[in-house]
Amino acid sequence: MLRFSLRNLLVNKLRLLLTLAAVTVGVAFVSGTYVLSDTMVKAFDELYGGLTSGTDVVVHAEPPFEADVTTTGGLLRPLDESVVETVRDVPGVAAAEGSVAGFALILDAQGKPIQPGGAPTFGTNIHVDRAMSGAGHVREGRVPSGPDELVVDAQTADKAGFHVGDQVTVIFERGRQTFTLVGIVGFGETDSILGATLAGFDLPTAQHVLGKDGLVDEVDVRAEEGVDAAALRDRIAEELPDGVEAVTGEQAADDAVQSVRDALGIFTTVLLVFAGVALLVGSFVIWNTFNVLVAQRRREVALLRAVGATRRQVLGGVLVEAASIGLVSGALGLLVGVGLAIAIRSLLSVIGVDIPTTSPAIDPRTVVVALAVGLGVTTVAAVLPAWVAARVAPMEALRDVVPAGRGSGRLRHTAGWLVLATGATALAVCAWIGNQRWWTVAATLTTFLGLVFVGPSLARWLAGLAGHGRRGGAWRMAARNVGRNSRRAAATALALTIGLTVVAAVAVTAASLKDSVSEAVSGGNRSDLILEPAGAGMGISSSVADLLRARDDVEDVVELREWGAQVDGRSTLVTGLDTVGLDQVIDLGVKTGRLSDLAPGRILVSSTKADDLGVVTGDTVVVSFPEGGSHEMLVAATFDKGSLINASYIVSMPDFEDNVGSRLDAAILMTSAPGIDADQAKAAIERAVADYPNVTVNTPADITREARQSVDQLLGIVTALLLLAVVVAILGIVNTLALSVLERTRELGLLRAVGGTRAQVRAVVRRESVLMSLLGAVTGIALGTAAGVALARALADEGITIVTIPTLTLLAYLAVAVLVGILAALGPARRASKVDVLRSLTAE
Amino acid sequence: MTTSRLQSPGTTLDASAVTSAARAVHAHKVYGEGDTSVVALDDLSLDLPAGEFTAIMGPSGSGKSTLMHCLAGLDTLTAGTVSVGDTDLASLTDRERTLLRRDRLGFVFQSFNLLPTLTAEENITLPADLAGRAPDPAWLATVVAKLDLGERLSHRPSELSGGQQQRVAVARALVNRPEVVFADEPTGALDTKSGTELLRFLRSVVDELGQTVVMVTHDPGAAAYADRVVFLVDGAIVEELTAPTRERVLEVMGRLGE
Repeated sequence: MLRFSLRNLLVNKLRLLLTLAAVTVGVAFVSGTYVLSDTMVKAFDELYGGLTSGTDVVVHAEPPFEADVTTTGGLLRPLDESVVETVRDVPGVAAAEGSVAGFALILDAQGKPIQPGGAPTFGTNIHVDRAMSGAGHVREGRVPSGPDELVVDAQTADKAGFHVGDQVTVIFERGRQTFTLVGIVGFGETDSILGATLAGFDLPTAQHVLGKDGLVDEVDVRAEEGVDAAALRDRIAEELPDGVEAVTGEQAADDAVQSVRDALGIFTTVLLVFAGVALLVGSFVIWNTFNVLVAQRRREVALLRAVGATRRQVLGGVLVEAASIGLVSGALGLLVGVGLAIAIRSLLSVIGVDIPTTSPAIDPRTVVVALAVGLGVTTVAAVLPAWVAARVAPMEALRDVVPAGRGSGRLRHTAGWLVLATGATALAVCAWIGNQRWWTVAATLTTFLGLVFVGPSLARWLAGLAGHGRRGGAWRMAARNVGRNSRRAAATALALTIGLTVVAAVAVTAASLKDSVSEAVSGGNRSDLILEPAGAGMGISSSVADLLRARDDVEDVVELREWGAQVDGRSTLVTGLDTVGLDQVIDLGVKTGRLSDLAPGRILVSSTKADDLGVVTGDTVVVSFPEGGSHEMLVAATFDKGSLINASYIVSMPDFEDNVGSRLDAAILMTSAPGIDADQAKAAIERAVADYPNVTVNTPADITREARQSVDQLLGIVTALLLLAVVVAILGIVNTLALSVLERTRELGLLRAVGGTRAQVRAVVRRESVLMSLLGAVTGIALGTAAGVALARALADEGITIVTIPTLTLLAYLAVAVLVGILAALGPARRASKVDVLRSLTAE
Repeated sequence: MTTSRLQSPGTTLDASAVTSAARAVHAHKVYGEGDTSVVALDDLSLDLPAGEFTAIMGPSGSGKSTLMHCLAGLDTLTAGTVSVGDTDLASLTDRERTLLRRDRLGFVFQSFNLLPTLTAEENITLPADLAGRAPDPAWLATVVAKLDLGERLSHRPSELSGGQQQRVAVARALVNRPEVVFADEPTGALDTKSGTELLRFLRSVVDELGQTVVMVTHDPGAAAYADRVVFLVDGAIVEELTAPTRERVLEVMGRLGE
């Protein structure tokens, strides 16, 4: 039986290839994601290991809670520098040095900021104790000493063309300063830490420029020869004040890597979701392929049964065939995935994210998951067809039956419409109520399940519609073929439905988001100009706001900062705003309480978050900052229109500065003095902040345009990722058509014999393909639009206040689907038109 | 008056003497190459007069099917010419031959004559549909009535008996008023009663509608319905019989050592 199954596999190589590809794409996506993130973690691991290899113990503030590294930069409350002396006096300590880190943006000789996409730009002190620098070493020149000297990383030096002795200007949180470059540092083999730019100073200079005079972020300790790190850590811990902890260097490196792992985890999850969509589509393709194969082989199976094969053997035979395909596509997917990960890594280094050279990390987990997913998806998808095969009666071997598709049962039909109606109603209700994320997902899945059931009915209905065409008859024949095997047509179309549902839902959500942003800007904004960091910059130095306040042509200046914190135990972003002039630059849409009540010790809460927490104006909430600790704050007001500044919780700037060390503004909102023209104002402010080339000056229209562009960009990326699923669906259509053509050889021959031209035969196959594509596209776009509307309504809290259906985009998708149908039919149609008339008529 | 004579190979029929619906002149057909080549048609010449019912007989491998396929433009000759009316098939492209089959010829095969997804009526009008024109309603009605299919037009092939299916195929073959109808063992898959019925229909199509029918068969009873029977052996015509009866056909077959 095994040999029989495997031989079946090799009969048609094209079919095998198409079937393999359907699963391989998804598996490659999964394994590529794993390999990429594992490799990055491994790279970080090696890098941190190298950097901290000379450090045995690290002393820093106890984190009040696990803060999200992406919103806080992993910063902790700085310590008084006296702790360095305390630690140095502990027996067994060979060396102890304080260290600080913060924002430092290096400018090149032309005054342009050196800002790698996404990677941080930071400044720190260079250790005097060489052993504690670990893998970081001065490649050229010497370590900096004194207030006018700095070193930079080799990648930055290379990019900007810096040489030792050059003058280098750096922008800090509180202003800019020029230094003499005395050295260039490297990190083992690599030129930078994951593409980040580094400006290194001696400790007093670093403390001063980073705004941490008399403070250190941590103390790095080297143990004397023969002293155990853990023992030393315990001894040091005894001498430390409350709220300060000591960990081993190894532990510190692990913690750092863990936070990277957490940050990558989100990225990994998102990619895996896309992979999941591709796999779901792939499983439909497999299911359908096996259905067709079993239908075509009924006589063969019946013959096997007649000569004594048991049902179990038939079932096993089909499953073994599926499992072989699954294993091979799993292995292929793994290979492709590894290749993909390597390619993406090279791509990242091309765009400036320098990942340390390390071999691709292929965890046993990746291999197991790839093979298991390939095997699982294929086998599960083949279970039903295998069961059908096992039920073939031996008598069928003797009867002359053309494999005709079965219609769907009445029960399936009724149940299907019920499920569909339930799902659709639930979607409508979700869209009506709003804020029902999980219900929306559940309703969408239910509706899809309904579509699976009623798919054959829809296929027949569509076939009936298209079958009315009389002239030429190609439409009619195509429609009849779709109608004849409505289950097969529906299953093929459903693969496309999945892809287009997600694509359409994303398009609707994105369009809604864009319009909501426009609405938020036009409805909530009152400022004339908004200053933002350029590109992926970390923020704007606070000295820029001071500079603006000093000008006569500027009326109100409000700085906006945000930081990761917890409110009543929930992790969130807290926004800090200047209270003076706040009402002049933005309309927050205060619902209860008064904006003017915002003062130290008080907080503004968005009305949806207030509902979530169950608090009203006058209640208190507990706000915990990673640096500043926990505070009870009085809810002064609730507001509705925070989406413009992406704010859910707002505290006054004095409170924010007490709890967050960073002085970087996320944005500055300002109004011009009366009577100043908008264009003039923009030009004047741009000139005024020329010293800070990392700042962009935007009018509200600029903000709207940029926000819309960034939504479009994101939409583009997401759609591109989803295209993979669509590609798999196309493979499914090609596969179904190829199999149909194969089984209809005699019909095609007859058609040719009675005068059907090759072009007409091609037209029949092509139209069949178009009909299936249309079925998939129309259902997918309809479901996706409904799901998108419900989703947009569910994301009202995230600032989607308007629901927009991008009709043109959706119509374009429909057109593309038809085109896809035509393309998918190219091969099968060609094959159909090449049918040998005589052979097909005389065979059998 | 009936005659039976041996026709010497290479005899050319005088083309101008009769109105021929189709003809083969010095037809050669060789399958394969070199040592493995098989001669299917050996310098065969045949004229099919319009309005006649011709049966082609011969043992298996005699080339009767090949002859019919070549006459019908389904296959091509190695040498010689076949023509339908004034059209030399050899000069036609694949597409032109397809259109010729569609517009000027009709076909009835032994089995699997109908597309299972189309109704009887749709199958009948298929050649017209493929040509993108409506069939002549009066002619269609005549054909349908002649073949007694009026009740069955909306049925799918799977809902028809074998005999009915073959009658639908005959109606399909006639719908474009073809110059020649080719029938390849049309009764081969039918029981005796349906077979007889079908042959009567074919006969009446010739007698009453003036159609030209060429039928390949190995059944002497079927051949007896024809105006003329042509016997093939090894790709050449060895005997011809006009106004045949079953007995005379059997006699010739016996003589030819079958």
